[in-house]
Amino acid sequence: MTHPFRELVAGGVLVAPFVTYAVAALVMFLILRPILRLSGFAQLFSHPSIAELSVYVTILGLLTTLF
Amino acid sequence: MSVPAALISRHFAGVPFASWAFGIRVWIAVVVALYAGFWLELESPLSAAITVGILAVPTRGQALEKAGFRFLGTVIGVVASIALIGSLSQARDLFLLAFAAWVGLCVYVACLSDGFRAYGAVLSGYTVALVAIQMIDTPGQVFDFGMQRGAAIALGIAAIAVVNDLLVAPDRHVELAAQLAAIHRRLRDHAEAVMRGEATDPGSIAGLLRETAALRSEITSLVTESSSGLARSTAARSTAVSLVAGIHAVRVVQALPGDVDLAARDWALSELRRRDHDVGEGLAALRSGARPARPWRTPFYFCHRLAAEAGVRAAIWLSLASAFFVLTGWSAAEASLVQLTAFIGLGVISPNPRAFTIGALIAAPIAAILAGALDFLILDGVTEFPLLALALAPFMIGAAVLTTLPNQVLAGIGRLNLIFILVIAGLSNPQTYNPEAFLDSSLFVCLAPALLLAAQLLIPPVSDERRRQQLIAAARREIDQLSSGRMQRYTPEEAMFRDAVRICQIAGTGVPGPQQRVVLEEALTLFDQAAIIRLSDASLRGLPDGPLASLADQARKAVSRRDVQSIRRAATDIEQAAPEDARARAASGALQVASLVMEEKVP
Repeated sequence: MTHPFRELVAGGVLVAPFVTYAVAALVMFLILRPILRLSGFAQLFSHPSIAELSVYVTILGLLTTLF
Repeated sequence: MSVPAALISRHFAGVPFASWAFGIRVWIAVVVALYAGFWLELESPLSAAITVGILAVPTRGQALEKAGFRFLGTVIGVVASIALIGSLSQARDLFLLAFAAWVGLCVYVACLSDGFRAYGAVLSGYTVALVAIQMIDTPGQVFDFGMQRGAAIALGIAAIAVVNDLLVAPDRHVELAAQLAAIHRRLRDHAEAVMRGEATDPGSIAGLLRETAALRSEITSLVTESSSGLARSTAARSTAVSLVAGIHAVRVVQALPGDVDLAARDWALSELRRRDHDVGEGLAALRSGARPARPWRTPFYFCHRLAAEAGVRAAIWLSLASAFFVLTGWSAAEASLVQLTAFIGLGVISPNPRAFTIGALIAAPIAAILAGALDFLILDGVTEFPLLALALAPFMIGAAVLTTLPNQVLAGIGRLNLIFILVIAGLSNPQTYNPEAFLDSSLFVCLAPALLLAAQLLIPPVSDERRRQQLIAAARREIDQLSSGRMQRYTPEEAMFRDAVRICQIAGTGVPGPQQRVVLEEALTLFDQAAIIRLSDASLRGLPDGPLASLADQARKAVSRRDVQSIRRAATDIEQAAPEDARARAASGALQVASLVMEEKVP
């Protein structure tokens, strides 16, 4: 099931919904970073970089699905 | 988990496996960026691939930091392009002058910083060339063009970031910790030799200072590396600052005469132990990803006058080249002007702008030959993407591997070829294989460094001699300002690091020789004096109120006059006023050491 995607209009310029989601996910990921550090997230994985990329992709996927 | 050490140390064809892995990552990222650009039907998918070539640095954090500044620089450049085109598109001469002034301003800003921040500043300058100069005949499309460029750059950044993450590009903090630990080890060896009274090489300790200060921009890159990047970066900063303070402590111990007062010797040795302990703590925090107990900043030293001189020269070089192109009347000359502007910017942030231009002059024809071979010998009319991807492999992997070589000339040629090959090959969907377009772009890419070199011969870059003079004059001025009680922006340790950055800049001017050695020795003496003035001031501030406060005031005045006898008297008075007080004893020791350091003559 899909839902309609709304375009962001900034000063008459239409911004693609995916760009809005990607930027919002990036902002949320950056806010989450200190929590990841305090919770020792990087120590839980053999490859923390892939785990952190997965967190970003998960946030992006959730945003796209839910909003 | 880090890559096993055995794998890192293995070589293939004389090159470490890590370099081959880097080359393969770059090739995959270029292919991914091109494919996504073609699939999204971007106006300039090539820009996405070129972005990957530009962001090709061996570690993940550095690539992300450079990507951030590349994006920010592009946004500023596009805004400036719109402003310039909007206001001056009807007056071409004024437009070119304003463009030259903007590039000069960006070069000035770039000279006030280092690392990828400086790259971002020069990128804002040459983005105007890429956007406004290319769109000079169609000003109405400048916004669309800017957006397309922004989209291509964002795509290139995403491609290299994802490929680096999935293929586990190495983290910089592991190697950085090893580098800082090696400097610490050498410092300890030097200190032990000094304590044993053995003769030591004064050049080696100056080398340690330079090596530590040179790591500054790489320390900044740790922030973007992982969730613990900020903590590791703070720890690395503290370690570097403590190392510089440790180097100063060793120099102080070395300068003490045999018959020195006990309080002075105790103070100097306690400083040495304190710094050694701080470095150890900082390294432990860096390795574990914890925040250090004492977070210190690593301020950068910049000289406004030298930056302004570089900016004015950049504007003049660009004006001369623009005038040349206007006089020739070539319709496709804007492509060459774009390249030339990029060379001006990138050259100014390199240690030697003219050497950079000569490097570009050598790399451009090599890239033209390689791009010709790619287009007309290997691909030769092919339109399938998998074949293009395979054909790109030897060129991208080869150029990326070259960038990792210790030979700076080969590394520079590799770095430029990584970008030039893509620019000249002009990859598009569908590929046109037009020999005339290929010859035009080859000619203009080769013409740009030749023209810039001619402009630089006419108006030479700021000479090494002048840079040395300005930097040492600034160091002398700062000592005077310190004596007059000004310059309290940083803690003594942070200010020492800033001075070490200046010494690193002096050491980077020209080839090592007797003249440079004399200037370096003076810079080191001024570094010692400035540091001890700040440290003795800090220990005087730590004294309690009461009778000691007035003695501290007298001592401060003596230090500000740099009157050695008065400083010694003040030190004795403070020690006698409170013989049981550890802080008073420490302040007395610091003052006595200060008097000894100030006796050292500037060479």
